[in-house]
Amino acid sequence: MARAGTNLRTSYLESNEVLRRPYQKVLVGLILVAAVLLPGGSSDYFLHLINLCLLACIGALGLMMLTGFCGQISLGHAAFLAIGAFTTVILTVHLKLPFIVVVPAAAVTGAMIGFLVGLPSLRFRGVYLAISTLAMHYAIIFVATTYQAKFSASASAGITIPDPTIGPLKISGAPTWYYFLLVLLTFITIGCVNLVRTRPGRAWMAIRDRDIAAEALGINLTRYKLLAFMLSATLASVSGSLMAYYSNVVTVEAYTLDLAVIYVAMIIVGGMGSILGGLMGAFFITLLPYGIEHLFEFLPRAWRFGSTVFGVQVGAVGVCIILFLLLEPKGLAEIWRRTETYFDRWPFRYRPLDTTRR
Amino acid sequence: MEFVATVVILTCTYALLAAGIVILYKAGRVVNFAHGEIAIVGGYVFYSSGMMFSGGEMSPWLAVLGAIVFSVIMGAFIYATMMRRVVGEPFYVAILVTVGIAIVLKSAIIVIWRAQHLTIDVGIAPAIRLAGGATLSYMDVASVALTIAFFIALYLFFTFTRLGVQFRGTAENPLLASQRGVNVNLVLSLAWIIAVLAATLSGVLYGGRAFLSTESVTIGLAGLTAALVGGLDSLRGAVIGAFVVALAQYLTVRLIDPVLSEALPFLILLVVMSIRPWGLFGTVEELDRV
Repeated sequence: MARAGTNLRTSYLESNEVLRRPYQKVLVGLILVAAVLLPGGSSDYFLHLINLCLLACIGALGLMMLTGFCGQISLGHAAFLAIGAFTTVILTVHLKLPFIVVVPAAAVTGAMIGFLVGLPSLRFRGVYLAISTLAMHYAIIFVATTYQAKFSASASAGITIPDPTIGPLKISGAPTWYYFLLVLLTFITIGCVNLVRTRPGRAWMAIRDRDIAAEALGINLTRYKLLAFMLSATLASVSGSLMAYYSNVVTVEAYTLDLAVIYVAMIIVGGMGSILGGLMGAFFITLLPYGIEHLFEFLPRAWRFGSTVFGVQVGAVGVCIILFLLLEPKGLAEIWRRTETYFDRWPFRYRPLDTTRR
Repeated sequence: MEFVATVVILTCTYALLAAGIVILYKAGRVVNFAHGEIAIVGGYVFYSSGMMFSGGEMSPWLAVLGAIVFSVIMGAFIYATMMRRVVGEPFYVAILVTVGIAIVLKSAIIVIWRAQHLTIDVGIAPAIRLAGGATLSYMDVASVALTIAFFIALYLFFTFTRLGVQFRGTAENPLLASQRGVNVNLVLSLAWIIAVLAATLSGVLYGGRAFLSTESVTIGLAGLTAALVGGLDSLRGAVIGAFVVALAQYLTVRLIDPVLSEALPFLILLVVMSIRPWGLFGTVEELDRV
């Protein structure tokens, strides 16, 4: 049945609803129930993959806030993750601080570094900003490399981190981590959604669409650009810190430029300027290499393709970036939106309205 | 003397990369983040096509032919299938497409060449001994000569040929140029072909002096730094910038710390970006300032 309901809004409150369509509420509820029940019926390996996705989601949401909403392109996301990881190393290994202190501390450190990295955005935009974040990436990674060379037992092994504990509860093993990350990600997502539809988010979108016009509207560019950088770095830093605890090891080799590009790929594949897109992209890009690995296992004598598999895993991310940018620039979120609109209008086939819901 | 030889070769390597980046930036306002990858893949192609039919012995002519064919196909392919479509999209699309190309090329190195470390050895005669114990192989001499020839050819092309003038017109204003009958698609694909050719030459140069591997793609960032130091829209600046980066890198290795030399291009980048972001010879208005 065709309804006008989804596009007819009669009050401001109504137009600001997150879940506008009735079935969306049902869907979100179902997803949450499924998410809670998931560990019951799945293997530790599968849960491990999901945990990686959830960790990536936190970082991807950070980048989405910065690039997708504020329009500031950043190739320095891996460095932000490294900041979180190395703050964790310093605080746990040297100072023996507990988990509950370390993660907020990593967030604060991330915010400070994000402030610094964001400073060039006040002078440059576009290509020049991308290059300056790239330079920042290498500067931060250089510091981290020097630190690791000094303090780790052997240069290649990295630094080990013990399992975290909150009070009496020890977080280890895939299911415990899963619930912890699920709760955290839910809160972060709700926070991001609310941020995006209130003053900072609207300011960011105005800056993204036309910074001069935004300034003319009275938006403080300095403040909101730096805020975006700080938020992005904070989320990345938290993600990096949790990743350090989760994998129990920190090594600077993990934080390459390729990792930054992988995060960029997540938000492109998911769809610029969409929270849902950020989450979908994070899942897609995180699971992609494992999917490719499993595909190769179908080939006869799979063991012969060792390095080929690795190469294809690397290249697939690049192919995804190019294909999505050229063919589906608004990403998976747009595909999902089209599907929704199609069923909204069913059985009629009106063209979807071009009022993009962010 | 060894100092001079090393810095000159390094300057040539970076100048070629920077020239390619500058040409692409002038032609389409695209900063190519895949330039290092293109250079290294070009070096691998040069090596493989030289080795193809001659079983162990490198044939320079086949290698050169392979490199040229690679450049033409690669440049035209990148332009026709990707960069032509990103015109008019938000600025990040063009950048990120080149980043995507970079990753795909890197994976090609892993899949096709198994990421093996290769040193290109053309095998023409040993080396010339210079005063002070430095050696300069004929390949080095040839590559320096080629680089100089490349820059002279570029200068002549842009100044005296019809296509070169059309090229500059397109760089100035693509829309007006196309309205005056310039074939913009031809010009821009030519820009890509020239840039890839320069990068390939630079990759060969680098592979002859050091080695090719997936890690050596970072020369792209040195090239980008060189281009920025000189000014992103200045070919003359590319050479000067390359010299600055090469000299600084050599001196750091010698006098301070080899580890620092890897991070050095980026330190230079940060300094340049904060003091004089339009570079030594760049146009101030070119800068995408806020």
